[in-house]
Amino acid sequence: MAQAAATPPAQSRLQDIFSSRYAVFYVLVLPAFLLRMVYSIIPIVQTVLISFTNRTILGGQYVGLRNYEVLVRDATLIGSLGWTLLYTGVSAVAETVIGLGIAVLLMQNLRLRWLSNFIMLLPWVVAPMLAAVAFQILFFEDGGILNAILQELGFGNAAVRWLSNAETARFSVIVMTVWKNVSWVALIFMAAIGSLSKEVLEAAAVDGANTLQRFWYVTLPLLKPAIYLVLLLRAMAEVQTFEQIYGLTRGGPGSATKTLALYAFERFFQQLRYGYGSAVNIVLLLLTIAIGAIFAWLLYRSREI
Amino acid sequence: MIHQRRRLRNALLYTLLVIVLVGLVFPVLFMALTSFKSVGEVNRIPPTIIPRYPTLENYPFMARAWDFPLTLRNTVFLAGGSGLAATVLGAMAAYAFSRGTFRGRTLMYGLLVASMAVPAMVTLGPIFIAYLQLNLLDTHIGLILVFTAGGMPLATLLQFAYFNAIPRELDDAAAIDGAGRFTTLFRIIMPIAMPGVFVSFLLLFIAGWNEFLFVFTLSTSPDTQVLTTKLYTIPPREADYQSSNLDLVATAGMFVLLPLVPLLMLTQRQLVEGITFGAVQG
Repeated sequence: MAQAAATPPAQSRLQDIFSSRYAVFYVLVLPAFLLRMVYSIIPIVQTVLISFTNRTILGGQYVGLRNYEVLVRDATLIGSLGWTLLYTGVSAVAETVIGLGIAVLLMQNLRLRWLSNFIMLLPWVVAPMLAAVAFQILFFEDGGILNAILQELGFGNAAVRWLSNAETARFSVIVMTVWKNVSWVALIFMAAIGSLSKEVLEAAAVDGANTLQRFWYVTLPLLKPAIYLVLLLRAMAEVQTFEQIYGLTRGGPGSATKTLALYAFERFFQQLRYGYGSAVNIVLLLLTIAIGAIFAWLLYRSREI
Repeated sequence: MIHQRRRLRNALLYTLLVIVLVGLVFPVLFMALTSFKSVGEVNRIPPTIIPRYPTLENYPFMARAWDFPLTLRNTVFLAGGSGLAATVLGAMAAYAFSRGTFRGRTLMYGLLVASMAVPAMVTLGPIFIAYLQLNLLDTHIGLILVFTAGGMPLATLLQFAYFNAIPRELDDAAAIDGAGRFTTLFRIIMPIAMPGVFVSFLLLFIAGWNEFLFVFTLSTSPDTQVLTTKLYTIPPREADYQSSNLDLVATAGMFVLLPLVPLLMLTQRQLVEGITFGAVQG
């Protein structure tokens, strides 16, 4: 990504831009670039602007920081923020740990390679909305399959309220998310493990390290950049989760599983309070940026060594 | 002794493998099995895993309830059209980033990457308001534009990596033969990078197929609905409201999933390559 080294004087700069040698690159790059900006960066600017208004579908006016003053005392928002952080943290960590385990397991040259590859891709290819449908069937409470299996295994006769109790609903939502993403994480780790140098691992084996020691002292430190990358990508995806939670619980019971994205959706699209919904969206955006920055920094540091 | 330990180790590993694979496949498998159950069986307590009296009756019922041909056509059109558009536009941008030195290159590349981190929900509101004013709600073109823009960073970055691996001498040779940049890109570079171009299209097609939120908010009429948004309108059984309609829910889910299964089988290798791109190199 190195820029041209010397900065030409202003006059020839203009000439550069319009000379045909450069013009063709702008013709190539601008359609993609502009389209993307129109649908991402410009809406963000608009969201910021709308968040300073009390706009609804009927119009509205500039109200300064009033939305944000209401926001900090909005119990639903604070609850939603807490749940979003919990959900993001637990899901991302669980996906990373279990995904790494699956990756190590599948790197042992077991049979059934084609079948396991196919099954690994299945949760990934399932739409978030479809994951919600599949788990809605599993978590069906009265006479559902999960409760039947639990009873069969002797875990008591009371049907578990998978979706209608706040605590269990949160657990169920996390289970669904981890199921949906864990095989993606495993595929990333399999590629990362595959690209590690075999010599280091063999040297450790020659030095008498057993399998577990080799993994803990050699493989794991080498995988640090991959682990931070996976945590970064998963946390940034999880923090903005809307679809599968909307599909499974609608954010309920009550507001128990209402992530920030669901809350923003409710304000903006269901109550048509554009101003307040945009302010909620700004909280979501700042949270996403914060998470991205933390992990990007960790990733950057882990690669310096 | 060593033999025994290896046998024990293998037994352990295969047990773990079976647990993992069953865990991953069960939610989808059980949905598939449920779709073959009758009303009576789906409401049976305790539930069966494998249908005792498998039936296909749910499929024609749901196909009618959903207007399946129209919905399928919309989904293919939207996922395919936007996938194609994003792949071509992304290839053009990737080629410029790969071969060109022009003012603003680093900034534009950086903004494209950064835009991937923007939550869809944050952009959705202003897009909705703009579409309302521009009469783009409920239109195919409006949806295709959103999807194309959504796929742009992936299409650009993925193809950028593939194009970078192609030696620049080819461009120079083409230039000497009098080929312009567009000709070079479409006639020489893209055919050589075809595996990458195909992976890009494939990932965008699947992403478009599975997308829900944008269609859900930007379209309301049945004419523009896709399979995932139809998951929202699963009819109850008119005859008796007492019984659950999980068999219909499962059948609806199969309508979304089934068309992707052959694709998944045929392109496993390419998909894994596309998914893990970036994890290793960057």
